[in-house]
Amino acid sequence: MHSYVRPHQFVALRLPSEFTKIQKIEPDSTVFLGKFGSFPANQIIGRPFYLTFEILDDADEKDGSCLRVIPAAELHAETLIAEGEGEGDGEELDMNEDGTPMRTNRETVDDASTQKLTWEEIEALKKESGGAGREIISKLLESHQALDQKTSFSLAKYMLRKRRKYMKRFTVLPLDVSILTNHMMEDQGAARIMELRDEMIGLLGCWGNVHHGGDASLEQAIAAKPNGRYLVVDDTGGLVVAAMAERMGILYPHDGDDYEEQGSSDEPKKNEAEQAQDDEQSATDSSTRRPARPAHMSASGNSITFLHPNKQPNLSLLKYFGYNLDNPDETHPLHKHLKTVSWLQLLDPNADPIYSEEPEIIPESELYTMKSNKRGAYHRKRNRWARVQSVVNEARAGEFDGLIVATAMDPSSVLKYAVPLLAGSAHVAVYSPSIEPLTELMDLYSTQRKTAFINKRQQLKEQKLQQSSDQNDANENDPQDSYLSELMDEFYLDPTLLLAPTLQNSRVRPWQVLPGRTHPLMSMRGGAEGYIFHGIRVIPTQQAIQAAGNPSRKKRKVVTQDTPTTAVDSGSGVDVEMKS
Amino acid sequence: MPSPFLTPGSQSQLDSLALLQLRRDQTIPTILQLHDEKNAGYKEGKVTNTRFGSFPHSTLCDQPWGSQIIASKVDTGSRGRTQSKKLKRKADELDSSTQAEDKPSPQIPVAASSGFLHLLYPTPELWTASLPHRTQVVYTPDYSYILHRLRARPGSTVIEAGAGSGSFTHASVRAVFNGYPSDDQSTKKRRLGKVCSFEFHAQRAEKIRVEVNEHGLDGLVEVTHRDVYEDGFLLGDPKTGESPKANAIFLDLPAPWLALKHLVRSPLEGTESPLDPTSPVYICTFSPCLEQVQRTISTLRQLGWLGISMVEVNNRRIEAKRERVGLDYENIRGTVVFPKSVDEAVERTRALEERSQLFRATQNQSDGDSTPAPKTDTDTPARQQGSEVPVYKQGRMMTRSELDLKNHTSYLVFAVLPREWTEEDEKRCREKWPSNRVQEPQGPQKSKKQLKREAKEQRDLQKKEQSQLETESQKE
Repeated sequence: MHSYVRPHQFVALRLPSEFTKIQKIEPDSTVFLGKFGSFPANQIIGRPFYLTFEILDDADEKDGSCLRVIPAAELHAETLIAEGEGEGDGEELDMNEDGTPMRTNRETVDDASTQKLTWEEIEALKKESGGAGREIISKLLESHQALDQKTSFSLAKYMLRKRRKYMKRFTVLPLDVSILTNHMMEDQGAARIMELRDEMIGLLGCWGNVHHGGDASLEQAIAAKPNGRYLVVDDTGGLVVAAMAERMGILYPHDGDDYEEQGSSDEPKKNEAEQAQDDEQSATDSSTRRPARPAHMSASGNSITFLHPNKQPNLSLLKYFGYNLDNPDETHPLHKHLKTVSWLQLLDPNADPIYSEEPEIIPESELYTMKSNKRGAYHRKRNRWARVQSVVNEARAGEFDGLIVATAMDPSSVLKYAVPLLAGSAHVAVYSPSIEPLTELMDLYSTQRKTAFINKRQQLKEQKLQQSSDQNDANENDPQDSYLSELMDEFYLDPTLLLAPTLQNSRVRPWQVLPGRTHPLMSMRGGAEGYIFHGIRVIPTQQAIQAAGNPSRKKRKVVTQDTPTTAVDSGSGVDVEMKS
Repeated sequence: MPSPFLTPGSQSQLDSLALLQLRRDQTIPTILQLHDEKNAGYKEGKVTNTRFGSFPHSTLCDQPWGSQIIASKVDTGSRGRTQSKKLKRKADELDSSTQAEDKPSPQIPVAASSGFLHLLYPTPELWTASLPHRTQVVYTPDYSYILHRLRARPGSTVIEAGAGSGSFTHASVRAVFNGYPSDDQSTKKRRLGKVCSFEFHAQRAEKIRVEVNEHGLDGLVEVTHRDVYEDGFLLGDPKTGESPKANAIFLDLPAPWLALKHLVRSPLEGTESPLDPTSPVYICTFSPCLEQVQRTISTLRQLGWLGISMVEVNNRRIEAKRERVGLDYENIRGTVVFPKSVDEAVERTRALEERSQLFRATQNQSDGDSTPAPKTDTDTPARQQGSEVPVYKQGRMMTRSELDLKNHTSYLVFAVLPREWTEEDEKRCREKWPSNRVQEPQGPQKSKKQLKREAKEQRDLQKKEQSQLETESQKE
């Protein structure tokens, strides 16, 4: 949990203009906020999140601090005044007896002549005046001629606009998945993250049933199967991986630490000091490695297996959470719990030289004679080979607990190969910015297709059985393969493996809540609507099911359907028969 | 007992919850048991009866999750009739079946042809869709967003007031779960996620408690029967109880503003604060009416909550299916018999026109002789053509919203309360991180190597200067 700003951490700074700026907080550096000013980073390190600071014009003479924490009461009072209700219940004061507003905009002059200050004068004011922008605003108001003609609501809006422009303050927010998502959406990065809105991330994680898999010690008692292994296909540069890691408790490196500060109020400080010392130490003696470091990608449960289309995975957004894939920090939980596998390694591992070509084993005696850097290179190669072997083999063995997809590729191709790797009852959640790729998925898993698929499979099975009995050839595996490929040609993927495919979209609508003026916000971001496909992996029986369901009594009165005599679909024959 | 919601393992287990999925949106939650004390009478032990057949639990236990299970032949008719029981048994014996009605050994069920179901482990989503309603339910689109905004993550503690039907309880315990509580020292050091659920309706609180136990969530969910408006959020005794140290709060109450006075850093009555003193605290209130929202927000402002925002979530489920339009589809269910294009319409009218002309002509002719009019079925060949394409590829994929739209669930108010920050804290922080120290040459982040290099550079520089001075002095 984010309790205070740590050195070397990324934070989000919300500016008066409502934009957020992502900033790495390095000790002894200066943070620049453009026209809103600048301040030394040391003045926010160690402070709690969600505080709003004002940048003062003159630094404190004793210790040079130039930030002031604005108390909540002041913030709220200011918004309420600025929103036009300084004098009690604003709405009632502004009404005539007959209920019409006292002041209207009938007399308002629609040009810029009402502001008497010239552009040059304002510029000069900006340089001279203090009060973190308050002086400018009051000057602007003073010299505005038609101020008394404004209704209190329009005055409020005017004030708000000016404040956004001139106030020198900022709020420090912890950089988590939600804030990063909103930042990317408001910035130019929306396309990079496939216009994945915050609410879609929440929904994706829930429908994918992504959660912490429990601790390993108890796990052994429960079952032989490790819990919480998820397959993720993510073309947003790592946002989906980060969101799932957040849900699984493996995104933030300091998650565990905070508990120890619980005890007394003095402890956080001490802890922080230790923390800083740790930082210093790890920086100064980086050559001395810790003896018991967790092996890269070695977690058995509570892990993410990331499938990527290229040779190298693109997870650049993880840098904001302190994890860089090129130079992984060994203390970061993702180092152990995030595994990367390329589609090539998954489908045809032997085509990948890193997987298939084992580096030669050099005997110990010979190793001693080698130069230290060569020896290091040898160990690195061996380790990498062993790691890729184990990660790829583990992925190919399947039995994953969920599949989360947000991809620019055709989602049906992802599901074709990834769904068979899931354990029974695992959930599949696919995000797409537009609906078409997902309707195609719905079609591929439609009831009619399932029925046709099962009938065809049965038919082919019988054919092959007959052929093999004719030839008296007892090779059983071969015919199955051949009819499977024939089935795949027609159906592309096995539609019986997913149950209850559904499609949905979700949108959050923000409101303005002020006494007398509560309404949805006037404008919202357009662009991609965003949709989620969900299904559940099931294990169909290989038995042919002869019938599906006793028609309910109500339906018996209706004209009865032709009874299903052929083998009816096991996937959802129920749906077929119950419709009528 | 591990919870099937959190760590289901690979197989269904006795005495734990399983979901029997009949079809989309029709799921029966059941506790798997071999013997059913309440409804005894089946030879197969406990049986769940559905419209797709009967399923003795012996066929559902120890099966891999996700399995398709075929219904069994179960005698559902004679079981209730106690009087005819003896007769029945006699008949059974006559039928040469050697059945013992001993309860300990349930009969091995015989597969029936009536249908099947899928055996699934429960998730908060499936549970929400199938749970027994007690109050209004917080559905997945809402709770997924709420938990995301509340930053309910593994290891957090969530306060939930108004446990209601328990859907949010299950979703939030999944969100905060990071291990089962145990006496083990290693887990004690770590902070374990927990849900503290408050409910003022005694019966509902009891039901939730039973559910929590049945679902293996003991120790992860703590249910308290409490009127939170009056008595606040401490665990155990309302005055002296233990603080849950919550990081996130969800209030599904008719008047959330009445409960807010207890959710402060230092309560007026001098009791302990239920909030986590070391972290920011996130809150969400869930109210269907705007008036409630306005009062809540005004109280939140008075109590110093920040970042107040209000939203509503609009969720739509979308139906996608093939729509088949065309004259070929006559007498086929689920199709629209209508010309699929202008061309087809023209062709059809032309054909009809031709046929009627022909008919008129033959009528004129057949005034005398009585040969029957030649049969013209223009339909048949067309339909045969159509059926060459398999049914699942006919028509065009279409999407539309599902018929029952949930247009408004509730308004969600979010806010955050930062950690308390005193003058002393600030003073200590200033000592540790001197305010005016900016880019001093020997910053703590420099490595030894770098320091050495810099020292060397400085020495070199000095040497150079010296030598320069020397040369200069020599020149002079």
